[in-house]
Amino acid sequence: MALNPTITTLIDEIEPGLIADRRHLHQHPELAFQEYETAAFVRQRLEQLGIEDIRTHVGKTGVTGVIRGTASGTGGNVLLRADMDALPIHEETPVEFASRKPGVMHACGHDAHTAILLSAARVLADSRDRFAGTVTLCFQPAEEVPPGGGIGMINDGALEGVDAVFALHMAAAMPTGTVAIAPGPVMAGGDLFRITFQGKGGHAASPEESSDPVVAAAATIASFQSVVSRNIDPMDRAVLTVGSFNAGEAFNVIPDTAVIAGTYRYFSEDTGKRIEQRLTEIATATAHGLGCEAKVEIIRGYFPTVNDDAMAELARLALVDALGERAVHLAEPVMGGEDFSHMLRAKPGAYFVVGCYTEVDGVNYGHHHPKFDIDEDSLAVGVKSLVSIALSWLDHNKEV
Amino acid sequence: MTLPTLPPDVDEIVPGVVADRRYLHEHPELGFQEQNTSRFVAERLVALGAEDIRTGIAKTGVTALIHGSKGEGKCVLLRADMDALPITEETPVEFASTNPGVMHACGHDGHTAMLLGVARILMERRDQFPGSVKLCFQPSEEANGGGARPMIEAGVLENPHVDACFGQHVMSDRPTGEVWVGGGPIQASADMFTITVQGKGGHGAIPHTAIDSIMVASDIVSGLHKIVSRNIDPLDPVVISVCSFHSGTAFNVIPDTAALKGTVRTFSPENRDLAEKRLKEVAEGVAAAQGATVTIDYDRGYPPTINDDAMAALAATSIASIVGEDNVKPMIPIMPAEDMSYFLEERPGCYFMTGCGNEEKGIVWPHHHPRFDLDEDALGIGVAALAQVAIDYLNS
Repeated sequence: MALNPTITTLIDEIEPGLIADRRHLHQHPELAFQEYETAAFVRQRLEQLGIEDIRTHVGKTGVTGVIRGTASGTGGNVLLRADMDALPIHEETPVEFASRKPGVMHACGHDAHTAILLSAARVLADSRDRFAGTVTLCFQPAEEVPPGGGIGMINDGALEGVDAVFALHMAAAMPTGTVAIAPGPVMAGGDLFRITFQGKGGHAASPEESSDPVVAAAATIASFQSVVSRNIDPMDRAVLTVGSFNAGEAFNVIPDTAVIAGTYRYFSEDTGKRIEQRLTEIATATAHGLGCEAKVEIIRGYFPTVNDDAMAELARLALVDALGERAVHLAEPVMGGEDFSHMLRAKPGAYFVVGCYTEVDGVNYGHHHPKFDIDEDSLAVGVKSLVSIALSWLDHNKEV
Repeated sequence: MTLPTLPPDVDEIVPGVVADRRYLHEHPELGFQEQNTSRFVAERLVALGAEDIRTGIAKTGVTALIHGSKGEGKCVLLRADMDALPITEETPVEFASTNPGVMHACGHDGHTAMLLGVARILMERRDQFPGSVKLCFQPSEEANGGGARPMIEAGVLENPHVDACFGQHVMSDRPTGEVWVGGGPIQASADMFTITVQGKGGHGAIPHTAIDSIMVASDIVSGLHKIVSRNIDPLDPVVISVCSFHSGTAFNVIPDTAALKGTVRTFSPENRDLAEKRLKEVAEGVAAAQGATVTIDYDRGYPPTINDDAMAALAATSIASIVGEDNVKPMIPIMPAEDMSYFLEERPGCYFMTGCGNEEKGIVWPHHHPRFDLDEDALGIGVAALAQVAIDYLNS
């Protein structure tokens, strides 16, 4: 079943507006939890579309609205989510609509996500007679800063009455016209850690009067390498990285403290807990064995992003409907994190990626690069994808 | 404790030595900048009638000769260092530093004043020794590679040829009246190293495309500590300390490079060579095992300070005649390095430690501390001891 030709035509018609919205948002990027103008822009658009129950300041700067179908049936409630925040990056693209805010840039494609969801809203608002049930639009702040803006929206009731959740992300490495989805874990969970080794400083030439925290931290890092190789199921996937090590200044003074910091990533919450437990045990025991004390701080990041198998299959079929069999690929799990994981822990749903491959100066720059850009032809692909998934889900849940 | 009775001629000049020390303390100068100090020294030497006064050696060094009247003989070099430290003085003394941020916090003011006192005594006792005494006022013991080596390179050990060398250091953690003398190694060498690990940066979640410089550097730290425990003769101590480890800034980025800094201390030339060789092997080998490379900057500082056994025995006897046998203590080797070692590499000799601590007077602060002070009662002891060592050596 292909996407209804009327809908496809409508999407083609509104494409110039879709591109204009994305460019406007790109030109006016805002950092996490500061998406005031973006939220106002979204609200204005939703009002123009006659979206019902518009709520602002949901989870600080989030915006929600609903579209109620008029077809017969009780219907379910499907949530479509877009994130709105930009990054603290100084844009270096040559585009005319480059950021007007020095040091702030939509370098991850959230401008596209927001514009796509606004256009999807427009199409679905125009198609109320085609579905029973409710589409909940969710414009979320602060995806980029763990633990993310999703939690605040959930706490403010964004998921009340919602039965399923879907979201997309642009993917710079994939060609325009392609999408990818997979059941199960698709993005890693990740937490940050900081470990302070408290030793006892002293003169480098009198080590016996000191407890050397550099030795304790180095030994700990050496032992950390056994966590993935020895403590994690080889069929599972995980990574533990120390990203910084800071101790001492002088050549001849044993410092008081050494501080290491890093991240660990995992695809199941049990594995995450196991890594946290092992790194804490190793740091504490190694430090103790070397006459120091380790203080372990865990800074919670995102949970693993885990698609519901049935929802992923429903979405995959809807993507095939909208884009054709050859456009839809099986997503490979990636180690990056995503705060849509919070919504996917609360409700069944799926997360998929939309190819937007483009080149700037002959190079395909990755997400978070100052020269990151997207192929705007991918925007309509995103709208078709979301609309198709929403309508397919609603069609499967007419009588709940 | 009861202080020793000083020889009358020494006792007589103690007030002058104290006054000189206070003047120098009030006007401290950093290494190789001892312009005023060397001018002061040279003026004093001129006034004493010392011969062959040379200034400007290794920038600010001063030498002079005192010839004995008992005929031809050997030449003994007596060395004092003149430089102060970049420390803001916090003592309550009236003659505290007038040079902001610079302080005689290691007692070199005392060393210089004492050697001037020794010069005065030896001038008066010329009839007691043959040969000659070369007075050597050295710049910059504390920094910039030290003043001893450039003085040697400038020829202070020749014309006349120096046969032996002696010097002393005041020690605030030992009481006034006691002197520490011993043969063999007494102070460690101090070499500095920087090891820069070149890995390959990457995303913290994609370790297989990176070479983790933090992990490699951590393995190097662990490896370096096996040198002392497994490669070094336990009877000949060595210290290897990694004192600084810096790499990365983010939680989730594997950094390209990691930099280690530290120091190696040894008491023998053999261990010094071995430790350097093993440090390089460990760093290079550990890095190579992980596909990383290292750049090693190994900067040799002062060599170990090694007293000649016979010279130490001679000095111990001479000093015992001043402070009494009970107050001559066997030298316990210490880890801080000293550039008197360069003189002792070239000529037999002995460097001894003169106690200058006095709990009753509150003189308890360690060297290099902003409140460091020395008990001025130690100055006369140091003058008498060093003068006696020189006379006894030249007569031996």
